[in-house]
Amino acid sequence: MTQNLTQILILNSPLEQFEVTSLIGLNAPIFGYLNLTLTNLALYSILVLFLIISLHYIANNNSRLVPSKWSIALESSFASVNSMVREQIGSLNEMYLPFIYSLFFFILIANLTGNVPYSYTITTSIIVTLSLSFTILIGVTILGLSIHKIKFFSYFIPSGTPLALVPLLVLIELLSYSARAFSLGIRLFANMTAGHTLLKILSTFLLQMFSASVIVAVLTLIPFAIFMALIGLELAVSFIQSYVFCILTCSYIRDAIELH
Amino acid sequence: MARTLQARTMSSSSDRQPPAEKASNIINSMPSSPNLITKTGTVVLGTGLAAAAISQELYVVNEETVILAGFAILISYIAKTIREPYKNWAEGHIEKIRGILNGARASHTEAVKERISSVEQMKDVVSITEGLFSLSKETAKLESEIFVQRQKVALATELKTVLDSWVRFEQQAKESEQAQLAKAIIDKVMKGLNEEKTQREILASAVAEVEQLVKAKAI
Repeated sequence: MTQNLTQILILNSPLEQFEVTSLIGLNAPIFGYLNLTLTNLALYSILVLFLIISLHYIANNNSRLVPSKWSIALESSFASVNSMVREQIGSLNEMYLPFIYSLFFFILIANLTGNVPYSYTITTSIIVTLSLSFTILIGVTILGLSIHKIKFFSYFIPSGTPLALVPLLVLIELLSYSARAFSLGIRLFANMTAGHTLLKILSTFLLQMFSASVIVAVLTLIPFAIFMALIGLELAVSFIQSYVFCILTCSYIRDAIELH
Repeated sequence: MARTLQARTMSSSSDRQPPAEKASNIINSMPSSPNLITKTGTVVLGTGLAAAAISQELYVVNEETVILAGFAILISYIAKTIREPYKNWAEGHIEKIRGILNGARASHTEAVKERISSVEQMKDVVSITEGLFSLSKETAKLESEIFVQRQKVALATELKTVLDSWVRFEQQAKESEQAQLAKAIIDKVMKGLNEEKTQREILASAVAEVEQLVKAKAI
């Protein structure tokens, strides 16, 4: 009985959906017990890649002058990302556009794929989001160092700081700079995880209410409407989070280029 | 009040779709092919399959089903709401681009035509240039001939002048020679006249002539 209850509780845990599980695994006693595993995270990463490539393949309009209905959407999203890069990093640094564009579409498609029922959201894995944010921050630091050489460290000393306060401020600035790596990844992870958890919890309640008497089931249509609005909100959050991630990346790149 | 109520009832009845029409719309939206599967068949088959899947535990209804239902409804609603405005916007944009391209093509054609017509005015330019060239060639030739002739004339004039001056000089020399000769002769004659012998001879000859004349007269 207790075992059953535990099983039910485990099955019904709203966080169960974020678990990385092994789908196909190869565990061979060679090369020091080689373990090759295709997890749901890997599968959905491949799916996201496939979707992005397919989207761009369908909406590719190179052969025609007049755009199709698909390519217009893609062209306008490209224009939006382009204007974002121009505004944030500056028109002279448009070379970062491909990176930001790829980042935007990767996060957006990953988020949207996760909104489809029965699917897995790769951005609800902290390893994915933190890997992204750390990679970006390390890259941005290398960029800043390569542009400004040793002068890059002046970034950690705000102008007009009294000499006595320099060690303290450097420490604070260094902490805030490093915190960016965490905040960028955790923001995306927390938003996606919170939304999916909320939907899971609410859907559990709604299922129980729908399973009750007919009158309760009919009355449950009202909270179900609110639930649908929340799904819509999740869709909006998918867009907003990918936009926020990209805009913050842009601002970090600008900081590295311009120093302050 | 009654009129307002009536108006409201009428407006609402005109806005809303009659239930029968709505029902037939739903029925029409069911997938079917005229021969094999009827609409009723689709509904029965769908319901039956769903019931069978649930009862056989092929499909387990759980909280994800609620999400699926909500997601499906929301997505179909969004798709339905967005389809028309997106279509209009996309078509408007496509038309705009098509208009720009067509306009550019038309203006390009126009420009090409203008160019053709402007070039057409110069179609005789080759023959005219050839004519002008041959004319200028002839002119140059004539000019060179004129130059040669002028040179000849100038040379002839120069020669004539030189010859004339020579002639004049020769004439002068001759005149002065003659003058000197005449003078010498006169001087000689004068000298001879002054001589007695000569005077006598002259006188004698004059006398002889006179005598002869006389003789002749006398005769």
